[in-house]
Amino acid sequence: MKTTRRALMGGAAAVAAAPAIVRAQPAPPANRTVRAILHGDIPTFDPIWTTANMAANHGALVYDTLFGIDEKVTAQPQMIGRHGFSDDKLTLTMELREGLKWSDGTDVTSRDCVASIRRWAVRDGAGQHMMERVADVSPGDARTIIIKFKEPYGIALDAMAKTSTPFCFMMREKEALTDPMQKIETTVGSGPFIMNERETRPGTQYVYDKNPAYRPRSEPASWIAGGKVAHVDRVIIQNVPDAQTAIAALQAGEVDYVETPSLDSVPELERDRDIMLAPRSPLGDVGWIRLNFLHPPFNNAKARQAVLWAVNQENHMKATFVDPRFYQKCGAYLTCGTPMENDANTDWFKNGPNPERARQLLRESGYNGEPVTLLQATSIVYMNNTAQILAQELRGIGFNIQVVPMDWSGVVQRRAVKAAPDQGGWNIFITSADGLSSSNPIWAAAHAATGERGWFGWPSDEKHEQLRNAWVSAPDLASRQRIAREMQENAWNFVPTVYYGQWKQPVAHRRNVTGWIATPGCVPFWNVRKT
Amino acid sequence: MIAYIIRRLVATIPVMLLVAVIVFLLVHLAPGDPASVIAGDNATSDQIASIRAALGLNRPLWEQFAIWIGHVLQGDLGHSLFWNRPVAELILQRAEPTISLAITTLILAVTISITLGVLAAWKAGSGLDRAVMGVAVTGFSVPVFVVGYLLVFVFAIQLRWLPVQGYRPIADGLWPWFERLILPSIALGLAYVALIARITRTTMLEVLAEDYIRTAEAKGVATRPMLLKHALKNAAVPIVTIVGIGVALLIGGVVITETVFNIPGIGRLVVDAIARRDYPIIQGVILVFSGVYVLVNLAVDISYTFFDPRVRY
Repeated sequence: MKTTRRALMGGAAAVAAAPAIVRAQPAPPANRTVRAILHGDIPTFDPIWTTANMAANHGALVYDTLFGIDEKVTAQPQMIGRHGFSDDKLTLTMELREGLKWSDGTDVTSRDCVASIRRWAVRDGAGQHMMERVADVSPGDARTIIIKFKEPYGIALDAMAKTSTPFCFMMREKEALTDPMQKIETTVGSGPFIMNERETRPGTQYVYDKNPAYRPRSEPASWIAGGKVAHVDRVIIQNVPDAQTAIAALQAGEVDYVETPSLDSVPELERDRDIMLAPRSPLGDVGWIRLNFLHPPFNNAKARQAVLWAVNQENHMKATFVDPRFYQKCGAYLTCGTPMENDANTDWFKNGPNPERARQLLRESGYNGEPVTLLQATSIVYMNNTAQILAQELRGIGFNIQVVPMDWSGVVQRRAVKAAPDQGGWNIFITSADGLSSSNPIWAAAHAATGERGWFGWPSDEKHEQLRNAWVSAPDLASRQRIAREMQENAWNFVPTVYYGQWKQPVAHRRNVTGWIATPGCVPFWNVRKT
Repeated sequence: MIAYIIRRLVATIPVMLLVAVIVFLLVHLAPGDPASVIAGDNATSDQIASIRAALGLNRPLWEQFAIWIGHVLQGDLGHSLFWNRPVAELILQRAEPTISLAITTLILAVTISITLGVLAAWKAGSGLDRAVMGVAVTGFSVPVFVVGYLLVFVFAIQLRWLPVQGYRPIADGLWPWFERLILPSIALGLAYVALIARITRTTMLEVLAEDYIRTAEAKGVATRPMLLKHALKNAAVPIVTIVGIGVALLIGGVVITETVFNIPGIGRLVVDAIARRDYPIIQGVILVFSGVYVLVNLAVDISYTFFDPRVRY
């Protein structure tokens, strides 16, 4: 037999093609698959163990919650059907909807949910706050969950419905009994999608298939409440760290959605007829400047007030977000655009920035020129820009600012150090929080003023804590708004934090992919259609 | 020869140990904390401390090193702090894209650069020579990511000939595999082409000035055999050396290229690991890269005996 070059090439091609034929698996067609590039990588598949938003994105696909916050910032039943408080407001009884199943085919039971609430409450600030007032969480019958409170707790449903991380996701009892300090490794949920572990490549792409057993509610989808109807068969989340590559992939139609397109690319994206821009979250994000209460000069309220009067939010916002459509200045302590927004004690905002007033406050604080260590996260654009502008603003009123550049990972390590700045500690660092959690005195851990037991910066103020507790116990919205006003009046005197603005990062998506729900805390993939 | 290879392999052990110590210290002494990254922005100090304890990061540094090196000596590179999976498994998962990119880049770069280098030397001083050297200077001066973005803009977004990003395994078919490697290979290979073309030209110029080449020309040997058989073979040792040295350049370039073109290879693995301070992955990958570099250099040394019979070990 004669071996020809053509025969050899044919054989080689057959060998190369063979594995593809053998391994070929039915994958959903392109119009039933949504590909998205979100803001980062999923650090762990346990969304209770971490507060990272990417873990919440994973969790929202796979797991469901007992309640969900809707666009009116109201808790709505999600996995729950009937529910209600006893007359004395001390017992909350919740009944699971019929037919809820885990992705392994077993029924969702009250025992699963009790274990899930307990585990979540260990890790979450709002959960901890609630559990301090809870006498017992127990299963009734197979579908009934009972929470007995020591005192009336008006925001119990809100806590379990919240969209700030970690969400109160329900898991099987088997996983939920895991030590809250250990990660769970198995992903079995009752949400609208099931994780496809075979196709998932940690660090690069995460694949989720439609959960055929999921029973969505009949109400229209609203934030993380209402009917979570999966209109596509597969969701693929790609981890693309390079912003320019992400935009190019969207323009070429290789992906359908980019959560955080760089704002430099906005004009280019707006010219592209196949791409649409939309707000990521209706309340956006709030920029926080954290001041360290443990060490001079910010252990003195006058020095903190000096910063409040010195910061020019317009400069900070314009430097990063460029277009006023994407940012606003905000003087409200509990986020602008929410029911808690008010104008109490906002002279610094209405009549500021005022460097002369700031200088005077700094003199009154007794500041004697000691170095002030400002941590600059160079790896995150808006933090990097804000640090540079802030350094200049504060030098302008007399602070001796020493900027310490490092990546974000370096900042999150150093901000936990309580030692003096010259012994590895710090005076100022810059961060942000989503607008919804910033609007709630309990959800955002940074709102606590419990001193060294609290969040980095460790502000301490007894009156603030009393007002937070009063806010929790308030019977209605009007009472909460009144307390929020008092809280703000007090906050802008003791200055637990300084804001440098509020912004609404736009998302970019292909025009043929519709139904995106702008929600704080996560990117919902239910309700999304592709044509 | 075999004794030499064994001697060289044994000599790599202290080198690798030294690399292990340096990498471990660099990684752990750099600012950053994986527990803080894992915990997220809303975590409190207590939550971060509990994660740190769970990961064993609160142990003394010497103890962490002893545990890690003990595992490494048994062939275990440890477990990722984030994925709780063996580092070796993660490296193996990511090896195919990186090896594919490295091989296509090497083939492309060596083929083009040696051809250009030989032509430039043959026509030294001509317009062709100046053009080749111009390409070489440009290729060496423009960063990989700039070349990458330009290629994407022209060939993927404007012309829509090739994909922007991603990787398909070779098992999915030759063309889907290859089409995603074309732009990254060109971007990564340009600097390599520049380096090898310049060395090839310089070495060939020296060889072409030798007496035996003049003799061959006088005897009427045709240009092609004279260049390829007589000159290039004798110029091969420095060229092979620079190809070997260039592997380090390639490793550095792979990290950037995989990020720009979103190729899920070992380069991306280590970049992501650095951002999260996933110590076992950083240590494991650098150790593997070091081992590859040592072995490539050994292969280069051995190859000298094929090109130059005077070399004996």
